[in-house]
Amino acid sequence: MPTSASSTSSNRTEVLISLLRSESKEVKLKALREVKNQIIGNRTKKLSYIKLGAVPKILEILSSSDDSESLILIQSAATIGSFACGVDVGVKAVLDSGAFPHLIRLLSHLDDKVVDAGARSLKMIYQSKLAPKYEFHKAENMAFLLSLLNSENENVTELGASIITHSCETTAEQKALCEAGALSRLLILLKGSLNQREASLDSLAAMTENNSEVIAKFVGLNSGRALNSLTELMKDRYPRTRLLASVCLIVIDHTSPNYLQDIGIKTKLIMILIELLEEPGRVGDEVPFALANLIADKEDLQQIAFEVNALDKLCSFLHQDTLLTKRLQGILLAIAELCSRLENCRARFMSMQALNLVTNALTHDCAEVRTAACICMRSVTRSVKNLSAGHYLDDMIVTPLVHLLHDQCTSVQVAALKTISNIVVDFTNRKSVFIQCGGLKDLVLLSKSMDSTLRLNSVWALRNLMFLAESSNKERIVSEITASTLTSLVCDPEPFIQEQALALVRNLVDGGISCIEHVFVEGGIIINAVGRQVRNASKSEVCIQGIYILGNISTGSESHKEAVMHQLLQEAPSVLIKFLKCSDARLRVAAIWCVVNLTYPGGPGSSVRVARLRDSGIISQIKCMVNDPCLDAKFRVRTALEQCKPVLGCLGVKLSATTEQGHF
Amino acid sequence: MSMFRVFISQLAEIDTMSTSKKVITREEWEKKLNDVKIRKEDMNKLVMNFLVTEGYVEAAERFKMESGTEPDIDLATITDRMAVKKAVQCGNVEDAIEKVNDLNPEILDTNPQLFFHLQQQRLIELIRNGKVEEALEFAQEELAPRGEENQSFLEELERTVALLAFEDVSNCPVGELLDISQRLKTASEVNAAILTSQSHEKDPKLPSLLKMLIWAQNQLDEKAAYPRIKDLSTAILEDPAV
Repeated sequence: MPTSASSTSSNRTEVLISLLRSESKEVKLKALREVKNQIIGNRTKKLSYIKLGAVPKILEILSSSDDSESLILIQSAATIGSFACGVDVGVKAVLDSGAFPHLIRLLSHLDDKVVDAGARSLKMIYQSKLAPKYEFHKAENMAFLLSLLNSENENVTELGASIITHSCETTAEQKALCEAGALSRLLILLKGSLNQREASLDSLAAMTENNSEVIAKFVGLNSGRALNSLTELMKDRYPRTRLLASVCLIVIDHTSPNYLQDIGIKTKLIMILIELLEEPGRVGDEVPFALANLIADKEDLQQIAFEVNALDKLCSFLHQDTLLTKRLQGILLAIAELCSRLENCRARFMSMQALNLVTNALTHDCAEVRTAACICMRSVTRSVKNLSAGHYLDDMIVTPLVHLLHDQCTSVQVAALKTISNIVVDFTNRKSVFIQCGGLKDLVLLSKSMDSTLRLNSVWALRNLMFLAESSNKERIVSEITASTLTSLVCDPEPFIQEQALALVRNLVDGGISCIEHVFVEGGIIINAVGRQVRNASKSEVCIQGIYILGNISTGSESHKEAVMHQLLQEAPSVLIKFLKCSDARLRVAAIWCVVNLTYPGGPGSSVRVARLRDSGIISQIKCMVNDPCLDAKFRVRTALEQCKPVLGCLGVKLSATTEQGHF
Repeated sequence: MSMFRVFISQLAEIDTMSTSKKVITREEWEKKLNDVKIRKEDMNKLVMNFLVTEGYVEAAERFKMESGTEPDIDLATITDRMAVKKAVQCGNVEDAIEKVNDLNPEILDTNPQLFFHLQQQRLIELIRNGKVEEALEFAQEELAPRGEENQSFLEELERTVALLAFEDVSNCPVGELLDISQRLKTASEVNAAILTSQSHEKDPKLPSLLKMLIWAQNQLDEKAAYPRIKDLSTAILEDPAV
C-alpha cells in the first residue's frame, strides 16, 4: 500500500512537470495551478518538486509570458512565491533561477491582481535570511523602495516594509533610510490596515535598533506623539500587534532608556508579554524571546517579572509535551534571564521541581534547545545556597550534561561546559560524583581541543573542579590532566586560557605541602612555566594568578620557598619590583602577599631570604608603600616590614597603625 | 448586648441594604436615554460591518446603495470568501482549498494549523463517503508528514484515522468528527483566516456591543433597579421590579 501511494503521487509530479512545457496555454495554466495547489502548505511536496527541477521551468513560463497573459503571470508568480515560503532550499532554488527581476517587473503591471501576486512572492523571498541584502546606498534603489512604501497597493507597501526589516542592519543604513523619509512613512503606515501596521512595526524595530539618532528623530515625529502611538498599540486588540509594538519599545528602551523612564510602562510591557505567552502559533513562539530580551541584565525588571509570576507561568509550559521547538527554546532562555541574578527566583525555580524538566531538555533533538537548557541551568546553578547544599551534583543532572560534552554542535558543548563550571564548584565534597561519571576525562579531552573557546571553557571547568577539592580528588585530577598538558595550557597562545590554567594551578597548590609537591614533578616543568609567565606575560590577570601561585607555594617547605626565590630573582631587577610599582592594586597586593610568605619568620632560611630580598631592592620598594592607597596592600606591607624588622634592625619607618586610619 | 437588640440591629441592616438600591423609573430612564446622541453614520457603519463580516454580500450592496455607507472591504472579496465557506460546509474541501489559494496563497502557506484542519476535513469526507483506500493513501501522503512536523497534529491525525476502525461510526468515541458541526468549525476557521488576511476583523462588532450592554446591566443591577432589557431581539425596556 505505501509503495503504491507514493508511486502514484510521484508519477503525477512528473506528469505535471512535463505538462508545464506544453504548447497549449490552457494546459500549461492548468498544470501551473495544480502544482501551486499541491505545494502550498506542504513542505514535502515543495522539496520533491524542487528536486525535479520545477522552479526554473516555472520561471521560464513567467519570463516568457507577456503582459497580456495575466492569468499565467499570476499563477506562476504565486507558485514561485510558495516555493520560497518556509523552505530554505526553496528560497535558494528561486534565487538561483533568477526570479528577482521578473517578479519586480510584475509590480508595474496594470492588473492589480498581477501586482499582488508579484509583491506577495517578493515578500516571501525577503522573509528569508537567504535573500540577498538590499543595497540602500544606491540612489535608484532608495527611490524604488520609497515608491514601494508610498504605493496604493497594500501588498506593495508591505513588500517595502519587508525589505527594510530584512536588509536594514548598519547605522549608516538606518540613517540613510531615515533621511530618505522612510521613518515618517512607516509612522503613517501604523495607522493603515492590520497587515500594514504589523509590517511597519517590524521595520521600525529594524530601523531604530541600537541607533539613538534615529530613535530621537522617531520620538520627535508627529510633534512628539510617535512614541504614544507605540504605547497605544501595545494595548491593541490583536496579539501580534501587541507583541510587535512591545518589541519596538524594548528596542528603544535598550538604546535610549530616557524615553521610557516610567517604570509603569515597563511593568505593563512585562505583563503584556506574559499574557501573550498563552497565544498559539508564531506570536506565542516569539514572545519568550522578547521577554528574555527585555529583562536581560536588568535586575529591577527581573524582580518585577518575578513579582507578577512570570517564572511560574514560564515553568508551567515546560510540563507540556507538545511544546514546539522554538517556543521551548525561548522559554528556557527567558527562565535563564529571570534566574540570572535573583536568588529568590532560583529558590522558587527549585521549589517548583522545574530542574527535572530542564534536565529533560538537555537531551532534546534540537541543538538550539539543548543549548538553551544548558544556559538555563547555568543561571539556576549560580545559587551559592544550593551549591553548598550539593543540590546539583546528582547523577540525574551530571550524566546528561557530561554526555553533551560529546555533542556534535560546538555551541552545545560550550554551553554545557559553562554549566558544568558552575555545578562542580560544589562545596559538599561531592566532586567524586562528577569524576565517576567520566566528566573529568571528558574535560581533559576538551582542554586539548583545537577550538580555543572549548579549551578555555574546559580549563575553566577544571579550575572550578579543583577549587577546594579533597586531596584525593586533586590527585585524580592532576594525574588525569598530566603535568605536560598542564604546562602547555599555562603556556597557551591565548591569554584567557593562560589565566584559567594558572588559576587551576593556584587551586591545586592551595592547601598543604602535599598539594604543593604536584608542581615540582617532572623536573619542575609546571613551576618553571608559571615563573616564565609571571616574568613575561603582559596581561595583568595572567600575572596576578601566577604571583598567587608563587605566594601559595611560599607557604610550603624551605625548598619550596627556595624555588620561588629562584623564579623571582632570576632577572635583575626582580619582576617583583615591577609588580610592586604597578598602578594595578590587585598586582601590588598579590606581590606583597608573596613577600609576606617568603619572609615569614621561624624557618632556618628566612633571614637569608630577607637579606636577598633587600639586596635586590625589594624591601626598600616596600618601605615606600606604607601608605599605599589600597587598604589591603597597606596592611600587608606593614606585616612584611614587621617580619623583616628583627633581621634588618631599625628600619627608620614608623609602623604605628594609628596614622591614616580615617582615609578609607 | 441582649439577643433582642442583636436581632433588631440585624433587621436594621437588611433594611438599609434594600433601600440603598436606587430605583429609577421608566420615565426617568427614558429621559436619560433621550439625552444620549448617536450618529446615524455610526449606526450604518455597524450594520455594514455586520453584513460584510457575516458575508451578506447582496444585502451589503443594497445597503451601500441605499444608505451611502462605504464598506471597509472590497465587496467582491466577500463573494469569494463565501464561496470558500460554502464549499467546506458542503464537504468540497479540495475545491475550498483551491479557492483560498487563488484568493491569497499566503493564507495556507503561513498557517499550518488551518492547513492541517482543512486536510483533516478532506480525510473525514473521504471516510464519510466510504473511500477507505483513498482515505488511507491520503492520510499517508498528505497528513502523515504534517504529523511528523507537529506532535499535536499527529494526535489529531490518529484520532481521525481511528474512524476507519469502527464499523458503526455513529456510535464510536470519535464519531463527532463526522458530525456536521465539524464542517462548520472548519468553515469558520477558514472564514476567519481569510478575513484576517484582508486586515479585517474576524468577528462583527455588533455582538460585542450587545455583550457590553449585558455586562453593563449586570454591573448596574447591583446598585439600582431600572428598566432593563431582557430580550435582546426586541430591546424592550422591562419595568423595574421594586
